Amino acid sequence: MKLQIMSPAADRVNFKVPPAPRLASLEGKTIGLYNNVTGGADVAVDRFAEQLERRYPGVKFQRYGGNLREGRPALSRGVHIDEAEAARIATEVDAMVGATAH
Amino acid sequence: MVAMEKAGVPTVAIVAQSFARAWQACVDGWGQPTAAYVIIPHATTGQQPDFIRNMVDEQIDTIVQGLIAFPTDRGQVSVQSSGGATEVFTVEMDASADGLDSVNRFLAERDWSDGIPVVPPTPELVERMLAGTNRAPQDVLMVMEPGFGVATVEKIAINAVMAGCRPEQFPILLAAIDCLAQPEMNHRDMQVSGHTEAPLILVNGPIARHAGINSGTSAMGPGVVNSANTAIGRALRLCLMNIGYCKAGTGDPNFIGLPTKFGMCIAENEDLSPWQPYHVDRGFQPHESAVTVVTVTGPGDILDSGSRNHEDTLNNIAQLMYYPGSGGGGWIRGWQSAQVGHTSQRVSYPGPYHPIMLSPSRAVILAEAGFSKQNAQEWLHEHCRVSLRQAIGSRGVPTDAQGRWLHHPELQALEDDRKATIPMLESPEQYLLFVTGGTTHYANFFYGTYGIATRPVEEF
Repeated sequence: MKLQIMSPAADRVNFKVPPAPRLASLEGKTIGLYNNVTGGADVAVDRFAEQLERRYPGVKFQRYGGNLREGRPALSRGVHIDEAEAARIATEVDAMVGATAH
Repeated sequence: MVAMEKAGVPTVAIVAQSFARAWQACVDGWGQPTAAYVIIPHATTGQQPDFIRNMVDEQIDTIVQGLIAFPTDRGQVSVQSSGGATEVFTVEMDASADGLDSVNRFLAERDWSDGIPVVPPTPELVERMLAGTNRAPQDVLMVMEPGFGVATVEKIAINAVMAGCRPEQFPILLAAIDCLAQPEMNHRDMQVSGHTEAPLILVNGPIARHAGINSGTSAMGPGVVNSANTAIGRALRLCLMNIGYCKAGTGDPNFIGLPTKFGMCIAENEDLSPWQPYHVDRGFQPHESAVTVVTVTGPGDILDSGSRNHEDTLNNIAQLMYYPGSGGGGWIRGWQSAQVGHTSQRVSYPGPYHPIMLSPSRAVILAEAGFSKQNAQEWLHEHCRVSLRQAIGSRGVPTDAQGRWLHHPELQALEDDRKATIPMLESPEQYLLFVTGGTTHYANFFYGTYGIATRPVEEF
């Protein structure tokens, strides 16, 4: 016999974000280092910074995660970067590298 | 990271191997399936710094490359888009062993089931389920994360059929999803956290009996007597997977998992409880029906055979409500924060709520001693304590530029007092006392993790 069944899978909100333009070089750029305050994520991004500085001595860093900026949201495992905070960070860095404990 | 890409900033994420599929599911939901990331072999938590550094060192070139070159396409996201009309499939069945299982295989091959047999969601059965509500099939209850799936009444009905729900149980499932739609439920974190937590559905009012939910002996157990409890809980999980795209190992990255994720739905034993029903605590009338959903991990058993009076019973519960690392006292950092939608709009909410499933006999002991439910909650609030220093922990507390605590500044003077203690939870009502099960000397308790919400059930 033939049985008709209905799809249980939902339509998804159609939401597309194209990739941001990439950098021509990291020389002299400011790199955001984001960790979500879970174990060892800070060590991971700090290591990246250490290694990058050896390759590009002029590179600068801004750190994000925890409660580093007064008047700005504390960023953690449960508090992610929202649109408004992303717009502010975008004025402070040229690129971002992030890590979570996972 | 996708929020940063949207703001025009190129990003690369460092992701542990065990989280890679979850990461991909996440960025799929956020609309950028090509988001750049590198994989390290282990999660960093608990690892020695040099071990983490060595893992990162292996990926430096790839990280740099990800910032200067566009990420490669990793294939299309599997997006169900029906343009409004639900797809209907035709499956061949017959009486052979394979034939009987053909619908289950069809659904499992598409990752649309929980892997064990379901009731085939035929248009006729779905229509019958829809007759259990006054809501229109295309009404949208919420957008469910992490997949940002649109939870229409019809899609919920299809999953309810699969779970074995009956039409008279359907309004309870809808009310449970109404709860998840409340921002203070923090359903995003419930879905995607690596920590183990699951929604616990609590039912109050006349609907519980009408729907056939067992609130007596073995109310949280298996068996035919609990078919309604099991089916409603299972239906919510199917919705979380098929509508929210929270699939084990991808959208749901629980590294170990939690068996209660299959489903938990229980009703209060209002006939035997000496106290007012829980939904009345939440502002409803006794004759109304309501559903509460609370996010929990556990449960644990509270064996109370040694108690001889009400204080023994409360003390027994209080001692079991605490373990190191449970996050007790976290309220000194302010309310928890939830984020909803593609903008990650923030909302704050108090929590967690710890449900304590008291057998009617345990509640009667307290009531006979003159304790109202509120008295019992206040007793637990007063006696379940944690040292202030432990609550501050290595995370510290948020401060202003002058070092003043942003939340609960009245406690700052005690910061260095090794003997100072504070209540484990901020408010007495966070000890959610719910009377259920048979008349015996047991109780169960859950640790609440994220939010709580209570919504009405439509009248039947």
